[in-house]
Amino acid sequence: MMSLRQTPLFNHHKESGAKIVDFAGWEMPIQYTSILSEHKSVRENVGIFDVSHMGQIFVQGKDTVDFLSYVTTWDMKRQKKGDCRYCHILNKDGTIIDDTIVYTLSDSDYMLVPNASRVDKIYDWLLSNKSGFDVSLENRSNDYFCLALQGPEAPRLLGQHLNTTVGSFQLVIFGETIVSGTGYTGEKGCEIIGPLSEVIDHWEALVEMGAVPIGLGARDTLRLEKGYLLSGQDFDGSQTTVETGYSWVIDWDHDFIGKTSLLEIKKRNYSKLKGILIEDRGIIRPGNSVFYQGEKVSSLTSGTLSPSIRKGIGMAYLDLDIGEPVTVEVRGNHLNGHVVRMPFL
Amino acid sequence: MSEVPDNLSYTKEHEWVNLQDDGSAKVGITDHAQDALSDVVFVELPDIGSEFSKGDSMAVAESVKAASDIYAPVSGKIVSVNTKLEESPELINESPYDFGWMVVIEPTEKLENLLDSDSYREIID
Repeated sequence: MMSLRQTPLFNHHKESGAKIVDFAGWEMPIQYTSILSEHKSVRENVGIFDVSHMGQIFVQGKDTVDFLSYVTTWDMKRQKKGDCRYCHILNKDGTIIDDTIVYTLSDSDYMLVPNASRVDKIYDWLLSNKSGFDVSLENRSNDYFCLALQGPEAPRLLGQHLNTTVGSFQLVIFGETIVSGTGYTGEKGCEIIGPLSEVIDHWEALVEMGAVPIGLGARDTLRLEKGYLLSGQDFDGSQTTVETGYSWVIDWDHDFIGKTSLLEIKKRNYSKLKGILIEDRGIIRPGNSVFYQGEKVSSLTSGTLSPSIRKGIGMAYLDLDIGEPVTVEVRGNHLNGHVVRMPFL
Repeated sequence: MSEVPDNLSYTKEHEWVNLQDDGSAKVGITDHAQDALSDVVFVELPDIGSEFSKGDSMAVAESVKAASDIYAPVSGKIVSVNTKLEESPELINESPYDFGWMVVIEPTEKLENLLDSDSYREIID
């Protein structure tokens, strides 16, 4: 059995009473006190997440812009130094390998932040597609931490902590420490990436200033309310970007791996990832069956109780219009709901 | 440390049973169970009059993350359910042994194989 990995903050998490789970091979906190109260802290105040399990892959060299434009859905020529961008990395058939944020550190220095479970896969994929490009790749996922500071009070704490501000999808770089205006909660805030040895100082300082530690449980409810995709769950290797409804991450005016297949799929009728809002009391879960006019039409990729709106919310690939009534089967009962546009909040 | 009142009986599935004067059994989940489950956000209760055999799933308590079955600690008929839990499932977290009770069963058999508070404490320690 492979042993589970830990971030340098593991003991801090344990000591503050966190419940620990195995997530993508890492021992990570799922909650410290309660998912509901942590969720509320991020929506109304400020929370801090240890997401040091996320990857950091550096790309350098004179063809970096061309290479990253070829392997992602975005044309990196449109990025300036100090920008970052959310995009997808696709197989040749258009299916998503992972979603990632691409950081433009300088004109020829870039960094990718893939999901923990996909770091090795993405690194291998980049290596296997670099022939003909003058680029060098370095997987430095073991050398860097990542903390997310999220919530309406996050900008104030960032100012207090690092004496800086950061705009949405902008970067501020201090030596090896990178602050980006990004997150996975839909709130104001940033993510801080830096050398692993410095993570404890950042964490302790921000918690001291009032940032509430948030586990992966609330991270999931926060992202689902905003309709953000969870890698490995809302796309699991068999769906394309157009099916996820994230076509806005595609710049169609450039050539990239998967483009030809996406153009073919767009000509056909295909199911798209849509939101389901439940009116009945009850909680829907990933894997629950979705019915339309009495027929099973799909299964939920995500589902939970929304802590903010106190209703069941979920996502499923559906060939149905917004507003259509559906039911979701939970333990033999059919809960009534509708297809809705995301985000839910 | 979880609270384990001495006057109650327990099951290995972390339910408590309180035998009433009329022979019926009031059932809920323990302090340890509510803590493990965390915020209870939904409770599915059985219909009054429904009958269960010992070990059947008779109710479900759900947190944001997981659904947990509540098993009948004894065979019998449901004579009362705590309807307050429909609007306020958090009563299970706030008051697991009192306002958070779940059902009252009228047993059709003798209550057997339940744990006393000391034996239950050993399980959760």
